[in-house]
Amino acid sequence: MIGPFAAALIALSLLIVVAGAVTAARGRAMGTVLLGALAVLEVALLVQAGLAIAELTGGQGIKETATFVGYLVGVLIIPPAAAFLGLAERSRWGAVVVAVGGFAVCVMVGRLLQLWQGAA
Amino acid sequence: MSGAAAGGAPEGEEPVTGRGGHDRDGGRRGGGEPAIGSGPGRALVAAYGLFTLAAGARAAVQIATRFSEAPLAYALSAFAAAVYLVLTVALARGNRRLALTACCVELAGVLVVGTLSMADPAAFPSATVWSGYGSGYVFIPLVLPFVGLYWLLRRR
Repeated sequence: MIGPFAAALIALSLLIVVAGAVTAARGRAMGTVLLGALAVLEVALLVQAGLAIAELTGGQGIKETATFVGYLVGVLIIPPAAAFLGLAERSRWGAVVVAVGGFAVCVMVGRLLQLWQGAA
Repeated sequence: MSGAAAGGAPEGEEPVTGRGGHDRDGGRRGGGEPAIGSGPGRALVAAYGLFTLAAGARAAVQIATRFSEAPLAYALSAFAAAVYLVLTVALARGNRRLALTACCVELAGVLVVGTLSMADPAAFPSATVWSGYGSGYVFIPLVLPFVGLYWLLRRR
């Protein structure tokens, strides 16, 4: 359940990295496309948190529960923070912020997936 | 020939060049000291904020669940998180002096902890952000202080 969903999340976050990098390379500030993508990412991360917590409370045990929940909840901060900082910076560097945020989400979801599969 | 003097364009009123260069630099050049928390600095704020989160969450989990296993490593994780937090806030608020100090502490931290963790792995049974010069974080912790120092010092 978590596996394919996490893979889709990684793909979406990588897409945001590329879109942010392209926007920055063109010298543009972040626009509504990047903002919308971050919003979609945030919603998907919330869904993932819901799914994972449902499975955890449903008896699925993993070794590093504290770390896992830390990543699960911590990653939720990133898209809003990236949007906030990215919108505050009306230059190409705003788009760079979004790309950095996307990369962080990608890495964190990857770690989540590792921890999850280490349990299964 | 009375109109001979009429056509002279006023001199010294040429448009001032340079405004167009703003976006290329990303920074706001305005008067006085350039802001350190905008333009490329904003990306640095994002990176440091990220590492505050990474190191802080790691330290919180380590200290809460198994502090007695490796107190030194976990305390260092917390220290690293604190340094990153100070840097994030200093950059975002434009406190250049504090940011410079924290950046130097960060550089010293990653070099000292990195070297120690290589020389005496037994003392660091558990990783921190700075172990192995930040090898667990694709060496970003090693690169970041140099980028930070460059950014803070370049327009002095």
